Amino acid sequence: MQFIKSVHKWASLFVGIQFLLWLVSGFYFNIMDHSKAGGNQYRERIEKVAVDYRSTGNQKLIDPKLVLAENKKTQNLQVVTILGKPYYLLTHEKGLYRHFYNEQTLVDAYTNQIIVIDEHMAKKIALTSYNGPGKLTSVIKLMPPIQDIPKEKNTVWQVNFNDNVNSSVYINASSGRLIRHSDDDKRFADFFFMLHFMDYASEGSFNNWQIILFSIVTLWLALSGLIWTVELGFNGHYRLSLRNQKSKIKVSDKSGKLIDELSFSINQNLLDGLIEHDIVLPSSCGGGGTCGQCKIKVNSDAKITSADKLHLSPLEVESGFRLGCQHKVREFSDLTLLNTHTAKKHALVLMKSTFISPFIKELRFKLQNGSHLKYKAGAYMRFFVPAAKGCAIPQKLPDEFQPHWHHISHLEYEHLACSRSYSLATYDTESDELVFTIKIQTAPEHKILPGIASSYICNLDVGKMIKAVGPFEEFYFSENSIDASIENVSETNVNDEKTLVMIGAGAGMAPLKAIILERLKKYNSKQNIHYYFGARHEVDLIYRELFDELTQKHLNFKYIPVVSKDAHNWFGETAYVQNILNKHFNELGHIDDLAFYLCGPKAMMQDTIVLLQNKGVKPQAIQFDDFAN
Amino acid sequence: MKLVKISRKLHKWLMLFLGLQFVIWSVTGAYMVIFDIDYIHGDSLVTNHQTSIDHKTIGISLEDVIKKYPDAQNISLAVLIDMPVYRFNVKNQNILLSAKNAELLSPINELMAVKLAKHHYSSDDDILEVALISQNPPFELSKRHLPAYRINFDALGSPSLYISASSGKLVTKRHEFWRLFDWMFRFHVADYEDGEPENLLLFWFAVFGILACLSGLVLTYFRVIKKQVEVS
Repeated sequence: MQFIKSVHKWASLFVGIQFLLWLVSGFYFNIMDHSKAGGNQYRERIEKVAVDYRSTGNQKLIDPKLVLAENKKTQNLQVVTILGKPYYLLTHEKGLYRHFYNEQTLVDAYTNQIIVIDEHMAKKIALTSYNGPGKLTSVIKLMPPIQDIPKEKNTVWQVNFNDNVNSSVYINASSGRLIRHSDDDKRFADFFFMLHFMDYASEGSFNNWQIILFSIVTLWLALSGLIWTVELGFNGHYRLSLRNQKSKIKVSDKSGKLIDELSFSINQNLLDGLIEHDIVLPSSCGGGGTCGQCKIKVNSDAKITSADKLHLSPLEVESGFRLGCQHKVREFSDLTLLNTHTAKKHALVLMKSTFISPFIKELRFKLQNGSHLKYKAGAYMRFFVPAAKGCAIPQKLPDEFQPHWHHISHLEYEHLACSRSYSLATYDTESDELVFTIKIQTAPEHKILPGIASSYICNLDVGKMIKAVGPFEEFYFSENSIDASIENVSETNVNDEKTLVMIGAGAGMAPLKAIILERLKKYNSKQNIHYYFGARHEVDLIYRELFDELTQKHLNFKYIPVVSKDAHNWFGETAYVQNILNKHFNELGHIDDLAFYLCGPKAMMQDTIVLLQNKGVKPQAIQFDDFAN
Repeated sequence: MKLVKISRKLHKWLMLFLGLQFVIWSVTGAYMVIFDIDYIHGDSLVTNHQTSIDHKTIGISLEDVIKKYPDAQNISLAVLIDMPVYRFNVKNQNILLSAKNAELLSPINELMAVKLAKHHYSSDDDILEVALISQNPPFELSKRHLPAYRINFDALGSPSLYISASSGKLVTKRHEFWRLFDWMFRFHVADYEDGEPENLLLFWFAVFGILACLSGLVLTYFRVIKKQVEVS
């Protein structure tokens, strides 16, 4: 099925515009005035004049035998009348059709003289067949190919009239035969025929290579579409009910906690249905089953669609993961949300936006309605970035940071709406401001767009509003992060005895900062806290003064900044933060008394987790905020 | 995202009703463009002989013809295989007359029709059937050519040549590829009655087809071109 969808996508990309032209031109043929499109608006029917064969004297026709004997080899001699006078039309070489090449000579039937159709004669023939109001403007001899009559392979006279439709009369230059009339109405229709037949080279044919190629691709497009439609039908995407029946689904969050019982129309798909309850599943395809982002968890015996199979691993499918857009409300009575949350939407107003390192900004927001949010330190919020125009280099870049942006080329772009999550860098009672530290994701190379969400948010003007949902508490200081297998442990203040080891890098330190401040300031905790912070250069050590100050005030807090690139004036450690952690590991304390909190780039986290596991740290003692999601 | 969603729904539902017509359009369209129109018209079935008239063999002058047929009009002189012949109308009747000896050849007999058909036919396939059609012509033969002989050959595409019984001329030719083409055309213009592209069914197919195509283009645009922006 994926093959079919893929064929449909690429075929539609290839023939899409031409397909529209086919439909539009086809529609035009359906509605056009066929008599006008014939080009014969001012054509006069020429009555055939009977030839008087019985006359004698100089009105007596020369015997054909004599004509044949005195002219070039002829295979057909025909009596024709032009302007009321009889002629012999001799065909020397015959085409299968009249518009094919024919070699012909016209001979005066009374005198056996060869007649060449000249301008004057062409004019007269054209005038007898014309009954319009126009004046004759020009008489031109044309060799094929001729735009108005592309199929014609013989030399013709074109006689033009200046009427309202610019009539032209075409006359075969060797036989004097009236070929046809043409005018603007016909030319207009011909333009549509040109589009319909893809006759872009004006060959007067619909057997050109481009239309053959397009027709074959179109076959694939139509057949793959048909198969897709049938598949949709079998999967129940075409059911309609007259009454808008509702059904209820119990919706739980990731941890299995029941959030609410929500009411849906039974024939909606879950992606659409959840939106009505302000639950937005991620989706970039709008419900086509092609992006694979709107994952949910339902009972494992639920129907499996081809899109489920494609985007989910067999294990996921077996454990009940499905794509929300591919399933209807009526299939389920309960479901579990994974990538989305029921937390409320808020309108946030930007109060302050400051560069704290070359690429990281601190953003301070307040709720538009003036209220105050409660959350555990380490929580994050999901921002809704609207479709907008963006720019690769931020405005209002402080002078001291400008050299860091020199290698980024200027790029303006438009982007679609999207949503991104950012951690709060504060705890809830610190102030009524919601503080975020956000790194502007620059493009890895020219022509690739930078991170559209981070660029948008960091370029937001103070006083402007942005919508966000949350806060979501997934990473926080946990009272339960002890090994449950240890029995007889007194429940009180167990964690106060534990040493917290925080490892962070880059803007990912935000939740760690929040937890540290919450521990030290809000709860006045006396437990040991070691904060390892890795950055590339000294200038990237954000909030350095704050942590230096905390170190002086709190004896139980230790700040270990690490810089990975060597610098002249740097007196601290030069390495990756995980290497320094490794070096210090044995001095941290007894392994069972340590609780680790990790947050930062994926590589740093993976390295650190491996390191800790090798040291014998139990997985329960490691908490990390996974940015990749 | 709203535009994508609307397009998705529109495309899905329209195609439920139009899908088959789209397949018909593309299958019939592909047939008509892939097969060369000259081949369809059977041009390869016949040899375009270029036999000249030998004026020395003409024994009958125009005057003789007029004496015998005073009302003759549209006179022409040509060769029938290799014999010079006069063709003309007397009132509405076609006359075929030997220019050698004034022998009246029309209407031609079956033997002559077969001989002429073989002369024009480009291969040497066997003749399957010969029929004289004097009334109720089939769809492929115009009424003005009656009476005419149909000579069917035993070959791919069941070719038929039609020889006019009154003029001895090859009036038309047909094979299955052309007959199929005519069917394809009628399907293509959604005409299941009289073969004209002006019909209401086609009108509505085209109107909704344009809508369906536009919504499809929106989907393609968002899936292929805008996708890169979204992923970043």
